[in-house]
Amino acid sequence: MYALADCNNFFVSCERVFRPDLVGKPVIVLSNNDGCAVSRSNEAKALGIKMGDPLFKIRDIVERNGVAVFSSNFPLYGDMSRRVQEVLSRFSPAVEVYSIDEAFLDLRGLGTGDISGRERFPDTIATLGEREGPTKWEGSTKETVPEASTLPHSPVPGTDFAALARRISAECWKCTSIPVSVGIAPTKTLAKIASKLCKKYPKLEGGCFLHRPEDIEKVLRQFPVEDVWGIGRRSARKLGPMGIRTAWDFTCLSETQVLRMFHLPGLRTWKELRGVPCIAFEDVIEPKQSICVSRSFVHEISDLAGLREQVANFAYSAAEKLRRQKSYCQELAVFALTNRFREDAPQAFSSALVTLPEPSNDYRVLVSAALRACQRMWNGSDSAAARGLAYKKAGVLLGRIGQEANPSLFVQSDAPIGSEAAERNERLSGALDAISAAYGRGTVRFGSQGDGRVRASCEHQSPHYTTLWTDIPKVSVK
Amino acid sequence: MKDFIPHPISSSVIPSEVEGSLLPEGGLLLGAVKAGFPSPAEEVREKLDLVKLLVRHSASTFFFQVDGVSMVDADMDEGDILIVDRSIDPYNGCKAICFVDGEYTVKRVEITDHGVRLLPANEKNSKYKPIEIHEENRFMVWGVVTWVIKKV
Repeated sequence: MYALADCNNFFVSCERVFRPDLVGKPVIVLSNNDGCAVSRSNEAKALGIKMGDPLFKIRDIVERNGVAVFSSNFPLYGDMSRRVQEVLSRFSPAVEVYSIDEAFLDLRGLGTGDISGRERFPDTIATLGEREGPTKWEGSTKETVPEASTLPHSPVPGTDFAALARRISAECWKCTSIPVSVGIAPTKTLAKIASKLCKKYPKLEGGCFLHRPEDIEKVLRQFPVEDVWGIGRRSARKLGPMGIRTAWDFTCLSETQVLRMFHLPGLRTWKELRGVPCIAFEDVIEPKQSICVSRSFVHEISDLAGLREQVANFAYSAAEKLRRQKSYCQELAVFALTNRFREDAPQAFSSALVTLPEPSNDYRVLVSAALRACQRMWNGSDSAAARGLAYKKAGVLLGRIGQEANPSLFVQSDAPIGSEAAERNERLSGALDAISAAYGRGTVRFGSQGDGRVRASCEHQSPHYTTLWTDIPKVSVK
Repeated sequence: MKDFIPHPISSSVIPSEVEGSLLPEGGLLLGAVKAGFPSPAEEVREKLDLVKLLVRHSASTFFFQVDGVSMVDADMDEGDILIVDRSIDPYNGCKAICFVDGEYTVKRVEITDHGVRLLPANEKNSKYKPIEIHEENRFMVWGVVTWVIKKV
């Protein structure tokens, strides 16, 4: 069995940890630079605020309904995510962190007996009261279980995965005050669907166990195919005209048809929906094949010096990500665009690509390559500069990424990874990483990075409650 | 081209002897002692870690700061740091961060057969009346205070 633990409306839930007054009220969190709504409370969703709605388009709804608006507070979200992961790791030695708000747990070979965790967390179930243990649940299944869910059913006598799912959710809530939906199923794809059911049916108390074939069929018959993990909007568009609307319809296609239309990834999803585990459990996150760091600016940038500073910072951040996954890249592109929301003004999109003579993850190499690309882009005939426009957003993209162990990915070079010069450079970049780790990012930086800060707007940011001593929540004693 | 070479921050900024100690391997000093008898201290790497004492469960432990005290000589003073562990169930007599009237307040929680009441955190304080807790506001207790850090 696999479990998927998915934090509900994660960024909003983080904002509510220290603001219980916001529970039950509409809350949204904006993307970097206060652009678009990226996390919405259920109340905000009910007001019709959509994922990705730009703030200026929903300002009216926000003001009329007193929606609480927050800028992204990544130090807080990162810390809360770490706490949830820590709780999850108590339930399984194998936790695959899939994103900041989602993790898979490998429950294969899970023994029976101690899954309720009573011994490790005494009294929790009893104290919470409303979260009943397995015995009580059996007596009250009829009224509490919604149509589309599964009745508790134990494949191995004594193993109660439904109770385990609720327990994981309860423990996450108790320790972190983040609501988490836990789905347990024979495959990762089905576990994802099970966790979505928890959000739809509050009576599941945050935990859903989906495994009996008849239950799976009932659920898949109602589940839109485009919401299935691994089926993108593009695949769904191909399926629509074929009359395939639900996940169940998809599983009814023949294996050869799925393979022909959607290739191996599609076949994997098809099998997973049919209860055959195909997606491996990955304790180690696969290194990314491309890395992009981009931001939009508060004030549009129309001078080269200003743009260079931003690009240098993007390049540094991209190099950090590259180094964290211990990869090297051989291509770097810089791009910039004008404000796409200003329909009255002409638009420009500019970019320039630099190919490095040899694969690298050296900060100096990547920052200087980015500045070279920035200059070339600036000089281009269709650049904003040439047309008297200003840039609203820019970014750095790293491509042709590979591992040291697999040099065949790279173009032949004279100074291969591991040469004496490369090693010396690696020590320098390593020292920069060590200084960042010990004294904070930006302690030592390149002159071209300016003050090292990306000019972003974060007008509505909450305090860094859990990561800065000056920001810890205040409390009165009465 | 010269323009695009970033400012040199190489060896002039990071002296080589410092560079070594910044690397994660660490422990270079102890390992370097080779002559004579091995120091018995070499085996003993333990030291007292205050965090281990104060933070039992790092997933559920949060810090708060006291801001607004209604009496003098209280055991919790302005500026004190409170260590709060959400994984601990409220017990009779515990001091806890409670959410009362739209704000965080430290209260003493009384749990008896008659129900749950929130009392003033500082026992001698009679200014505040006990607050009865009812079913509908069961999330009032945010977390139990486990330590108070006080600067003297």
